[in-house]
Amino acid sequence: MKEKIEEILKNGIVEIESATDLKILDEIRVKYLGKTGLLTQILRGMKEVPPEQRREVGSLANSVREQLENKLSETLANLENAELAREMEKEKIDITEPSKGVAKGALHPLTRFNNKFMEICVEMGFTVIQGPEVETDYYNFEALNVPKNHPARDMQDTFFITDNILLRSQTSNMQVRAMETMKPPFKIVCPGRVYRNDSDSSHSPIFNQFEALVIDENIGLKDLMLMIKEILRRLFGENVKMRVRPSYFPFTEPSIEIDATCQMCQGRGCSLCKGSGFSEVFGAGVVNPKVLEMSGIDSKKYSGFAFGPGIDRSVMVTNKIPNIKYLFRNDLRFLKQMR
Amino acid sequence: MKVSYNWLKDFVDLEGISPQEIADKLTTSGFEVEDVIYMNKHLHDVYVCKITKIEKHPQADRLQICYVDIGFKKTQIITSATNVFEGAVVPVALDGADLANGVKIKPTNFRGVPSEGMFCSGEEIGIDENYFEGAGVNGILILPNDFVPGTKIEDALMLNDIAFDINVTPNRPDCNSVVGIAREICAIYGKKFKDFDVSYKTVSENVKDYVSVSVETSNCPRYSAAYIKNIKLERSPLWLRSRLHAVDIKTINTMVDITNYILVEQGQPMHAFDYKYLEGKKIVVRQAKQGEKIAVLNGQTYELDKDVMIIADAKKPVVIAGVIGGVNSCIGDDTKDTVFECAVFDLKSVRLTAKKFGLRTDSSACYEKGVNINSPSVALKRALHLVDVLGCGEIVDGIIDEVNAKQKLENSERLHASYKKICKILGVDVPKTKMIQILNALGIKTTISGDDLTCVVPYFRDDIKNENDLAEEVIRIYGYDVYNDIEGGLFENSTITIGQYDQRLTMENNMKNILVDMGFYETLNYSLYTASACDKLLLPKDDMRRNVIKIANPISEDMSTLRTIMAHALLLDVAYNLSVGNKDLRFFEVGRIYLPKQLPLTELPVENNRLSIAVCEEGYDFFMMKRVIENLLLGTSLRYKLERSKEVFLHRGVSADIIATDGTVVGWFGKVHKAVLKNYDISQDVYYAEIDTDYLSKLPEKKYATKEISKFPVVERDIAVVVDENVTNQELSSAIKSACGKIFYDVVLFDVYRNKVLGDGKKSMAYKILFMSDEKTLTGDEINATVGKVLRSLEHRYGAKLRQV
Repeated sequence: MKEKIEEILKNGIVEIESATDLKILDEIRVKYLGKTGLLTQILRGMKEVPPEQRREVGSLANSVREQLENKLSETLANLENAELAREMEKEKIDITEPSKGVAKGALHPLTRFNNKFMEICVEMGFTVIQGPEVETDYYNFEALNVPKNHPARDMQDTFFITDNILLRSQTSNMQVRAMETMKPPFKIVCPGRVYRNDSDSSHSPIFNQFEALVIDENIGLKDLMLMIKEILRRLFGENVKMRVRPSYFPFTEPSIEIDATCQMCQGRGCSLCKGSGFSEVFGAGVVNPKVLEMSGIDSKKYSGFAFGPGIDRSVMVTNKIPNIKYLFRNDLRFLKQMR
Repeated sequence: MKVSYNWLKDFVDLEGISPQEIADKLTTSGFEVEDVIYMNKHLHDVYVCKITKIEKHPQADRLQICYVDIGFKKTQIITSATNVFEGAVVPVALDGADLANGVKIKPTNFRGVPSEGMFCSGEEIGIDENYFEGAGVNGILILPNDFVPGTKIEDALMLNDIAFDINVTPNRPDCNSVVGIAREICAIYGKKFKDFDVSYKTVSENVKDYVSVSVETSNCPRYSAAYIKNIKLERSPLWLRSRLHAVDIKTINTMVDITNYILVEQGQPMHAFDYKYLEGKKIVVRQAKQGEKIAVLNGQTYELDKDVMIIADAKKPVVIAGVIGGVNSCIGDDTKDTVFECAVFDLKSVRLTAKKFGLRTDSSACYEKGVNINSPSVALKRALHLVDVLGCGEIVDGIIDEVNAKQKLENSERLHASYKKICKILGVDVPKTKMIQILNALGIKTTISGDDLTCVVPYFRDDIKNENDLAEEVIRIYGYDVYNDIEGGLFENSTITIGQYDQRLTMENNMKNILVDMGFYETLNYSLYTASACDKLLLPKDDMRRNVIKIANPISEDMSTLRTIMAHALLLDVAYNLSVGNKDLRFFEVGRIYLPKQLPLTELPVENNRLSIAVCEEGYDFFMMKRVIENLLLGTSLRYKLERSKEVFLHRGVSADIIATDGTVVGWFGKVHKAVLKNYDISQDVYYAEIDTDYLSKLPEKKYATKEISKFPVVERDIAVVVDENVTNQELSSAIKSACGKIFYDVVLFDVYRNKVLGDGKKSMAYKILFMSDEKTLTGDEINATVGKVLRSLEHRYGAKLRQV
């Protein structure tokens, strides 16, 4: 009897393993474990086994049944998986066909640059402010230590609306507005449009500046330098080099111009930087005490620094834009490249 | 401002310092050198030679073979020039020369006869008749006989100077001069400034016997004059011509050249009068009388008024003060005696006058920047010194010097400053000795006692007023390199401030990102346009947006007006893109419109920030734009309704105004009017939208309050009703909602259908209604009863009939 049972197991396993589809597998199940199956018959015929062997044979039969059932379910799973794989194999697409749904558009490179710049400054504790582009002579010039008919007015060709109202030629008007309305200590930045009455291949009559002003006790040129270094690093990368030249702005003293590694050529020298490897990025300086006093800030107690880069050129070089006019032309073929 | 290397050498020892080094040092100390111009750039391989013999060319009638002696060699040159002769001394360009007019010289062969180079004309050397006699003739420049063959032409003609083109900032008018720049170089290198000669001989008469000066205007702080008689108007010596040539000033004759020389060297404009035309032997400095006229050197005649300062004689205006001389009183060929003017005029007055007549002369440019009150005394003596050196006139003894007493003269400015404060401004501890050394080198005589600096500021530095000014002087000479490796934390000595974004910019940025995700591209347009934009957009005559702010000095008509409407720019963008073949245009712009409170402006206008959107795309429709608007507004707390739009440039039937609960029209969107599109040459449909972002940014932040999700299932039912065309979705949807009562969950219009069976003016509207209860599972009977109620309500209110399928 034992031999018989063991033979059933042996044959069963072989048959199950050879099953190639679910139907055959089910037939095998019926053949061995069905109501009239080979093993079932053995179990039914237990009473014919001598009583002293029953226990042993019964246990063996049950074990074999279990083994067969396990093998069956294992094989069933394998066959089902194989079947699924076959079905899926049939469903095969060309993954290189175009995507569906609306493709994303793009922000203007100027917005992206401004946003990055704002983020850097806000992290440093600056408040972003906004103000008028149509401005009075006072805020654009006089309060910045440029009285009427001062030679420094020649530095900027200004669009006038009336004798006293103009289009701001610099975002520095916001320095004055901030000093009048905010109590020191404060730090502000103001991205905005400015207007100059000159236009040629490298100048646009409308361009963008990014004014920054810090007023506090103990502010000096060193703070300015440290901040600008950090900004250049964040905007242009770790390898950026900077160069400082003395300059003149009526509202800062000392005044400086800051050049940074030309981002168009990474300092190798190109037509844009006229071979120097550097391009001018910031006008900056320590706030002139006269300007503080005019806006009602005690220059004995407080000092400050300001800077106001024109950013169009930086936008141009960081995005390798071949022509500054692209910034306002709004050609889809250009804008698509900004995605 | 141009100054020359040789000229600088008069005042500072430049031995061993290259021009390029000077340029670099000047730039790093605040005087940006924009260009270094080598006068001899095109003169290498050009020499003086003497023609020893001339023979006819055997093969060509018009050519001559010239045998020449170039000192270091003898050779032959073929020429077609007709003004050469045996014994003539001429310039010759040899192999390798690269002349100013672009001609490159190589040895060549003219019909079998070799030629080693070419004789040069004045033009080919880059000079004219004014610079050198004979340089203007049409032919070869014949040089004086005493020029030695073999001499480089640049040396023979003194064309070996180097000019620096320097950008002098407005705070340093003293450096619009050779002496000013020379002083800077002295300070940079720690060299001594070489004083210049102002001595001269006079004849023993007195200037007052010849001319009197009266100053009758407050716009002339100082007027100095001298009298020179029996002048000789001839060509100035070559060294003087060379200097003026190097800085691009034409040479005329001794007297005029001297005045120009002083302008460049001392930064002091001068004028020379022809004495015989000064009626009454008087010089009167005054404001012009209304209606007075003057004919000036540029050929124009100007009518004057009381804002114009003039120099007059007893009867008439003779000079527009500081700007330009009159034809009637200037030096001419027949001038025998002259009066030199050396004055200070108020910069604002000169500036206004120059602006008024659109006249910018070397003199006015100099005055506009500011001429120091102390300048005339030095400059006039220096000019007279030159007259003496050149021997071109007899200087009458005495100088007239009218000084407006209000102004200070000479070395009176004494400034007290704190050493520590200067270091604090710089954030760098410059050693005391170094600081004092720098200030002294700059001519600021400085002593220190403890922390106190006492500085005597020289008269020409009236830009130095406080510690910040001194700090700048120190650091620009000390060198900004000191900051290269600076240590320390950012803002380590200042108060911590909390950064904050601008609410509107942040909201606009959110909207921009939503739009980008929906396939839109951001554009930027000029905020200036032409007023005719209002016509193109068909704005009615009384539309407020026709009240445009005009620029008084526009760059062009296209950019003469501040925009009052955003649509114009985006429509131009669409038209442009279509014209270059771009398709599927989804654009937006965030920008401002400028709305005057009154015209002409007496106060600042309202600047309104707006988001504008334009789409030109096959298959786009109103409802796609509506989705865009909804998505944008979802992020805000705006509660709004839509009404048919009143915007004139939109298609009336296919556009909507967005109206806030307070009645404000926050924006609008829809299809652009066909007639407007025609004005922009756009032949496809364009959908346009505009939203007032100022209004939205002032709304409170959107608050969210969510409800518990029901445990019971949602049940759906579809109904389709036939209604008149004019019944809106909004009407039916709200009727459905209210008829459903508490178990209403949502309603969705999923189909609108029209056909002949339904009849004209009818449409079928198919809705999916969703029901849900928070308390129980709804039964079929409850739903059926509610649907029945809905249908009765729709029929009652809108005549809706259940569509029989």
